[in-house]
Formats: sequence, structure tokens, C-alpha cells
Amino acid sequence: MQTTIFILLAFSIAIMPAAGSGCARKLPIDEERLVIALPGAPVSLDPRVATDAYGEQILQMTHASLVRRDAAANPTPDLAERWESPDPLTYVFRLRRALRFHDGRPLTSSDVRYTFEWILDPANRSPHRALYRHVASIATPDDRTVVFRLAEPFAPFLSTVVRGIVPAGSPAGGYAPPVGAGPYRFDSVSPDGEAVLSAFDGHHAGPPAIRAVTVKFVPDSNVRFLELSAGSVNFALNGVDPDLLPALPASGRLAVEEAPGGNVTYLGFNLRDRALSDERVRRAIATAIDREAIVRALWKGRADLAESILPPGSWALDDATSPVRFDPARARRLLDEAGYTDPDGDGPLPRLRLTYKTSQNELRRRVAAAIQEQLRQVGIAMEIQSLEWGTFFSYVKTGNFQLYSLTWVGIADPDIFHHAFHSASVPPDGANRGGYADPEVDRLTTAARRESSPERRRESYRRVQRILARDLPVFPLWAGRNVLVRDRRLEGFTITPDESYASVASMRIVPAAAPAAGQGSAR
Amino acid sequence: VRRYFFRRVLHAVPVVFGVVTVVFLLVHLLPGDPVEILLGESAMPAQKEELRREMRLDRPVLVQYADFLSGLPRGDLGTSIRSREPVLREIRRRFPATLLLSATAIFVAVLVAVPLGVLAATRKGRPADTLSGVASMVSLSIPNFCLGPLLVLFFSVQLSLLPVGGFGTARHLVLPAATLGTGMAALLTRMVRASLLEELGKEYVTAAAARGLSRSEAVLRHALRNALVPVVTVLGLSFGAALAGSVITETIFSWPGVGRLLVQAIDARDYPLVQGCVLVIALCTVAVNLATDLLCARLDPRIRYE
Repeated sequence: MQTTIFILLAFSIAIMPAAGSGCARKLPIDEERLVIALPGAPVSLDPRVATDAYGEQILQMTHASLVRRDAAANPTPDLAERWESPDPLTYVFRLRRALRFHDGRPLTSSDVRYTFEWILDPANRSPHRALYRHVASIATPDDRTVVFRLAEPFAPFLSTVVRGIVPAGSPAGGYAPPVGAGPYRFDSVSPDGEAVLSAFDGHHAGPPAIRAVTVKFVPDSNVRFLELSAGSVNFALNGVDPDLLPALPASGRLAVEEAPGGNVTYLGFNLRDRALSDERVRRAIATAIDREAIVRALWKGRADLAESILPPGSWALDDATSPVRFDPARARRLLDEAGYTDPDGDGPLPRLRLTYKTSQNELRRRVAAAIQEQLRQVGIAMEIQSLEWGTFFSYVKTGNFQLYSLTWVGIADPDIFHHAFHSASVPPDGANRGGYADPEVDRLTTAARRESSPERRRESYRRVQRILARDLPVFPLWAGRNVLVRDRRLEGFTITPDESYASVASMRIVPAAAPAAGQGSAR
Repeated sequence: VRRYFFRRVLHAVPVVFGVVTVVFLLVHLLPGDPVEILLGESAMPAQKEELRREMRLDRPVLVQYADFLSGLPRGDLGTSIRSREPVLREIRRRFPATLLLSATAIFVAVLVAVPLGVLAATRKGRPADTLSGVASMVSLSIPNFCLGPLLVLFFSVQLSLLPVGGFGTARHLVLPAATLGTGMAALLTRMVRASLLEELGKEYVTAAAARGLSRSEAVLRHALRNALVPVVTVLGLSFGAALAGSVITETIFSWPGVGRLLVQAIDARDYPLVQGCVLVIALCTVAVNLATDLLCARLDPRIRYE
């Protein structure tokens, strides 16, 4: 009996590879299906309430908004063919002709008004309500015109109307997404599983070339890598850890592309802390950190150093800010000047002890360890506290930290400076978590909000960035590059800094190269 | 039997009650605010207050606890803060997937473990025994987060035989069930072997052999039945562990189960959803253990319904 089992086992192992290569199954790409892997499941697929990144990314394919953002975060036409602002308090949008929702209903100005009024209605508890608090009224003089009146000038307004429009009367659905007017429609959604989309022939820009799209929610990074390797997923934007990219099969079926990313990671200081309230100590920490080495070793070069929390490529970025250079000798001098002298020369005693809080993300923990070692070199003993996300974020918001690191995601407008550095923006009223206060920054960020001239806004924000570079209330570290792994046959996607999926609609599948037809599909 | 059953059910009530109470207090003690997480930092303070009031999160923890308890008899587990859906509906949507995965894993584990354990016990010290011992040790030592991707690498990437992840067909079930079941199979194999060896050394087996029963008859008809009693107990415990501990397997294989729901709920500080998930898992564990005890009593009449 034993022998029989052994023979059976040996036989099955022997024939397995043959069986595998002999009956390689058809991959989704062979059936002209785009399969996107997202690192998580959306919490909501209703554009009126969705706040999570995964939900928003799916909605970029299924729901059309008045305007879209292009690669440089400038507004471009979507449902609105043009818009104007006759005065700082009025925005007039003119809709395209003959717009339709997925179910065939015509899309008119009243649907636009309904969508925004629904968000503004306190009873609906939309998390986006605060974004439109400046809106005083919405008028629809005809079917194709929408007029927003603001209570006070709010220059970032145009960037806030990138919000999917739903038909008037749509009920708020938990997982059942309301009908949209984007290039793809929902066929089915299974929570924690996948969303299946199909092309919408009535889209205003014409039907998309790829007819079938599946969005899979794959939380495990290794599994996303394996799905790409197996071909059951053929498109992943920022879905593969930098460490794993070199290990992708070199068979030629997959292509890797990268472009600058817009999410800036920064080191936050608590300015209420005795040591960290001293600008010299903050600068000493900044100059002691070798960002280039960390990007090279941990990000495998796939990140760009940042000198501002604005995304690289933003129109308001100040290019005259001088970068913080790695200079441990200067760091030691600065600490000496600030009174944190080395107690025992080469001995083990530190000049200063600090605590650094971070999440449990593996890459973030390794970054923390690298920073810990670099700070040790200049005599700062840094303890790392890696906390579960909810706890970590709660500590950051309540000011319970000395140092922490976070990433700004999806920053579209330089108004972020008001949100993150105005002295009145201390949580819960904003994200000035370190308690920074500078009257000039307060004045400039408030004025820029109300300024309609883009040139003058840009000038205000440049001055804000220079003050921040001088005071260093946070130390901008880097912006991870956006890395797309896709099947070679998928073409036409534009990687934008904000990881938008809007250009999925312009993608197409090109025929496979001749040699790949017989053998390439298995890997 | 009926009296025993009801008494056991009554015993289970304080257990479930205790679990639910401890979890309720623990999640409320955790730093983090569901309203902040849901509305984001830029929300207006008044808006946060409104939501807090509406979700009854502004009331003392004890009052919230009383609310939660009073809803239970009506089957009302509250409303998820995150998705605004009734908690029961959320769980009902995910629970079948977890149950299917756990039950299949247990079934496969038993299917593998019993023959292998019998083989190892009856061939003690011979190559089959050594091999099963080594295989069990290896399987027990590989954590699921390592075994899962390895199986995927071999069966999905190299051989293209099975899907990498997802839910839907029987083929989707194979790898997750194998991942979750391997450790259990290894544990059960060792249990069957040890328990059977003990039985085989007893006099009744020798007596059976003396009565002229063949070795396999003595083992399968007499010794194995008695040997299964401790195995069934462990099986019951494993099932509870599988239900609660399928989080890693569910994450690896994108399996839409309760484990993942629970982790997401904890991340979002979705108190009602966390409580609901824990309650359901606790109830299932208690139910399975009750079933196990009844089964043990059937297998071995010496165990009295006391």
C-alpha cells in the first residue's frame, strides 16, 4: 500500500507541470477584459458620500463630474463643456448637449443641483458637506446651465466640483451604487470581492475601447504580485511593493511604467514639545536624515525628494526653496547651539531622547528604523512606536506625539496650506497637528483663499512655502513615484500624480506580438 | 439528552455575555473616534457633533451598552457606522463565505488526518510513521501567510490550475481551504495517532484479537471509535479557531468573509459592527463546542449527560 501511494504521488508530481503547460487557460486579456487590482475594497460607491481612495478611483470610471483634473491638477471639461466666473462669488457651468445617464435618463442641470443639494443637506450626513460650506445657492436657469453662488470668495472652488453626478432622486445606497454617466457602468459589485463594469455606449466622449473591466479588491501585496504573474490581473497601479518589482516575471508579458507621484510623505514635529519648539532642533533632525539613502535603499529609487507638501508638478510649487541637505556635522552643531550637547563624546549617552509614532505598514516601519539609525549618528535616541492605524491617527490628531510620519494623499489645491498650517486649523478644525503659528502664514493663506487671480494666489503660496522652509514645522521627505504594472497589450493609460483612473476609458488592447501567441500566455 | 442540551445552552449564555461585554468595553477604550474616521479631518465640528448625536455616540458608554443589549432580543445589532447598513445584514452577507471556508477546511483536514493518523499509529516507528510525523511538523510550522502565497505560486502561477483569489466557484475554494486546513490536518493527525496508540495498548484490543478479529477490524471497529473522542473535542475547538482566525487566509485570497469584515470594522472603529462580528463568532464557537460534546457522548457512552 505504501509503495502504491509513493508511486501515485511521484506520478502526479511528474505529470503536473505537463498538465499545466498543456492546458494553459485563457487569460482575461485574451478575452479583452481589463482586470484591475485595487489594494482594498471601497467603503462606499456613492459619489455623494465616498471618501476612501478605492471608492473614488472606481467612481472615476463610472461617474462623470462637471469638471475633471488633468495631469497637472488643472480643471478640464467633463460634463460641463465650459465654465466662467463673472465675479469671485459666481460660477456658471454650461453642460454639454444630450447628456445621458447609464439607464438612458437625460442628465440635466437639475441632476447637478440635486447632487450638490443632497450633499449640503445635513440630514444626509455627507462627509463632503464641509467642502461646499461656501455655497450659498445653486440655480438652474435652463436645462444646461448651473449657477453656483458663494457666500464668500473661495478660490479653490473649481477643484471641489470634481464630484460624480447622480440622477435626481437617487436613494443613498450602502453598497448599491447610484447610476452615473461615466464611461463605464456597474454590472455587479460584491463587497470585499470585485466590481464588474461594462462600457457605456452613450458616454459623451464616445464608447470606451475596452468593453469589459473587472476591479478586484486584493488586500495582500504578495497576492497582487502573484495575480499579475499569473495573468489573472493585468493592471495594477501602485499595487506592487518596490521590493517585489524586480521579481516580476521577465517573460515579456508585463510592462512596468513609472511617473512622478503626488503623495508627499513628511515628518511631523510637535511644536508644543520643549525640544522641538526650537527651530534649530527641528533643522538638526532634518539635516541628520539622509533622504537619498532611504529612497535608494527602501524605495528602490522609486520616490522623488520633496521640499514642500505640495505634489511635485503643482502649479503653486515654489521652485526657489532651497532643499534641506544631509549634513550630520551641521546637525551636531545645531544641537550644540540649541543646548543639547553631547554628554559623553563617543559614549552611549544621547544628547536628546525622542519618540516617533508610525503605523504598522511594513515600508513605514523600515523607514522609521532607518531614520532611527541616522538620528543615532548625531546623538539623538529615537524610540519607534508602531501603532495600529486607528490608534496612531487618533494620537496624531490629539497632539499626542513628538515626531510622526504621514503622507498627504490627493492634494489638488494649495489651499492645503490653510488646512495644515493656519493657526486656527488645529484639530479638530483642521490638520495643523503640530500647533504651528505664524501671523504671516495665517494672513497669506487666508488672503489666497479669497484671491481670484491665479498669479497672485501663486505668489502668496510661494511666500508661504518660503516661510515654512525657514521654520520647518514639518519636514517634507519624498513623494513616492506612481508605478504601473500592466500587460504589454494594454495601451493608452496616462499615469497622473493623483493616481486617477479616468484615463482607463482611453485604453485599448493591441494584438499580441507574434511569438507570444504560442507560449507566452502561461506566465 | 434534552435536559443536558438545555443545561449546556444555559451555560453558554454567560460565556457569550462575557465575551460581548469585554469586547464592548475594549473597543470603546481604544483610542480613535469613528466619527473622525468617517467624516475626515476637514469636517465641521458641528457636523461631527450631529453625527455623534445621531449615532448615539455622545451618550455614556454604559447607556450605549444597555442600548446594545436591549436590541439583542429583537435581533437588532445596530447600524454600521461605516456603511450605514444594518449590522445583521452586513454579517449575513459575509458569514456564508466564512462558514463555507471553515467547514471545507475542517472537512478536508479530517479526510486527510484520520487515515494518516491511523496509518502512523498502526505502523509506529516505520517509514510511514516517520514521514507523517515530519509532514505534520512541517505543516504545523508554516504560518498561513507563508503557506497561502506558496500554494498560489505553485498551483496558480506555475501550473495555472487554480485561480489566485476571489470567491464564486468550487475552484476558488481549493487553495484557501487547503491553506486553512493544512495546520488543522497536521494537528489532528498527531491527535489521531497519539490517541489511537493509547487505545491500541489497551486490553480490549488484545481481547478482540484473541476473539479472532483481524488486526484492521480491531483497529477500525473498536479502537478508532474510542480514539476519536479526544479528536472530536479538538475538532470543535479548531472550528472555533478557524472561524475567528480565518482573517489571514481571507485576506490572502480576497475571500469576502467575516474575518476581513471584523478587521475593517476595527480599523474604522465601527463599534456596532465589531460587536456584531464578535457576537456571531462567539455564538458559533459555543454552538460547535456544544455539538462536539453531544457527539462525544454518542461516540463514548461512558461520557454521561451530566
